[in-house]
Amino acid sequence: MTQGALIFAFDNDHIDYVSMAAWSAENIRRHLGIPVAVITDREDVSGFDHVIHCEKNGDNHRWFGDFETQMPWHNHARSDAYRLSPWDQTLLLDADYVVASDQLRCVLDSPQEFLAHRWATDATGKNDFSGLNYFGDNRMPMWWATVVMFHKCQHAELIFDTMAMVRDHWTHYRHLYKNPNVSYRNDHALSIALGVVNGHTLDYAGIPWSLASVVPEHRLTRVDVDRYRVDFVNQENQARWIEIRDQDFHAMGKKHLGEIVASYT
Amino acid sequence: MPVTHERGYLIPAVDSDSVDYARCAVQLARSIRHWHPDANITALTVKPCHDPVFNHVIPLPHGDLGGYRNDWQVFHASPYRQTIKLEADMIAAGPVDYWWTLFERRDVVVSLGARDFYDQPAESRYYRKIFDQNDLPDVYNAITYWRLSATAKEFFGLVKSIFEHWAEYKTLLKFPEDLPSTDVVYAMAAKIMGPESVTLPQGIGPNIVHMKRHIIPTQSHDWTQELVWEMDPFRINTVAQWGLVHYHIKGYCPDE
Repeated sequence: MTQGALIFAFDNDHIDYVSMAAWSAENIRRHLGIPVAVITDREDVSGFDHVIHCEKNGDNHRWFGDFETQMPWHNHARSDAYRLSPWDQTLLLDADYVVASDQLRCVLDSPQEFLAHRWATDATGKNDFSGLNYFGDNRMPMWWATVVMFHKCQHAELIFDTMAMVRDHWTHYRHLYKNPNVSYRNDHALSIALGVVNGHTLDYAGIPWSLASVVPEHRLTRVDVDRYRVDFVNQENQARWIEIRDQDFHAMGKKHLGEIVASYT
Repeated sequence: MPVTHERGYLIPAVDSDSVDYARCAVQLARSIRHWHPDANITALTVKPCHDPVFNHVIPLPHGDLGGYRNDWQVFHASPYRQTIKLEADMIAAGPVDYWWTLFERRDVVVSLGARDFYDQPAESRYYRKIFDQNDLPDVYNAITYWRLSATAKEFFGLVKSIFEHWAEYKTLLKFPEDLPSTDVVYAMAAKIMGPESVTLPQGIGPNIVHMKRHIIPTQSHDWTQELVWEMDPFRINTVAQWGLVHYHIKGYCPDE
């Protein structure tokens, strides 16, 4: 059985997702010992075991808080991961997911066919993520597409096919779930797809820990190998910082992560 | 009331000025019978009801005392040695007979907590302020089990006493209601007896899906106008329901 990571990397004018993915690939190999494939529309890429070329599709825009601007966001291809992945077992990671430990090894070793995070939390503990862990006016439970493990199997294929169906009929599903977000989001499509494929129940296995996240308004810097510092202002308006060490996390602010990647590659 | 069967469901179906609870009870009984054709189901009524979905239709033994104040009569009216009392304005969205196994070694079980239609614990405390302010157990009388026992007799004796002497009992509470709700009365009785003696640990026993606005949450009171729902199987906004759904909108009769 082949096993590897898969990262989507479609740059926009402000964010070099390919460099981020290449930097992440090094971390993945170092900690998890698995090869890494990238899916991108760029020709000049290196640092990956497989390069899968794919055209950008979709014309999404979203607000990036750390850049304080609306930017293009090419996220429509994620539901093609099943079809494009070269691996029997795939660890599908966002380019901004920082692998700083081997904790995903137990996800790869899990007997489940498909796993994702149900919960995310602010690594600093400052922000309540209860709004982010649900979507829509009626608070549909949200599953995060940031880290997804899947095997090539009918169950996973159905989930990705259903994500594509949701993507292709986004207006319908957006209204059904009273989702005020006009832009398509893979997290929302994944959440809907998991429900549909699992018999319209919300009872299925997930990665058994929360997705540690660093929000865009907090400053992220690298201290050393697998050591990161997060500077933030607490509720009392006092400057504070924490160190994240040997712990994976989701760098929701691409700007700071981009600076780290640019400095150390 | 003489005992005629070992186990059965009892549904109070006493109409109020605004709600046809008998109609609700028929709908609930039909939904139970869909899953359990051989279930024993009794309606507790004031006016005659001849719907064949019920095995028995029993009048309130002490007459209609008005609204919630009838509740303690369920203990005296039930023809079963083991009874599950269900509030009428609910639908059984799946099998419920495994409850008997959960309950059978207890004398009284009042359901604890509620769920939203995603089957997640109801987080909103909007409707439960008096419980929190008075440290009362978070009981819902919508599902209540008892077996004929000294414990059950004591529990319903307390329920009767609290209803009949509310003016005195309410002085024990911070911010009491003018008129007692059954849930508050059950919670007070549970607290007096010790919550552990009349509840199962949180997450063990069944609890209701509560479709009240602040729990779901919806923008308006009437979720049936706001969410997509379908029957057979019963799904709300595509999510399959199980156990008992307390639909709360009293005119909601999807099988008509």
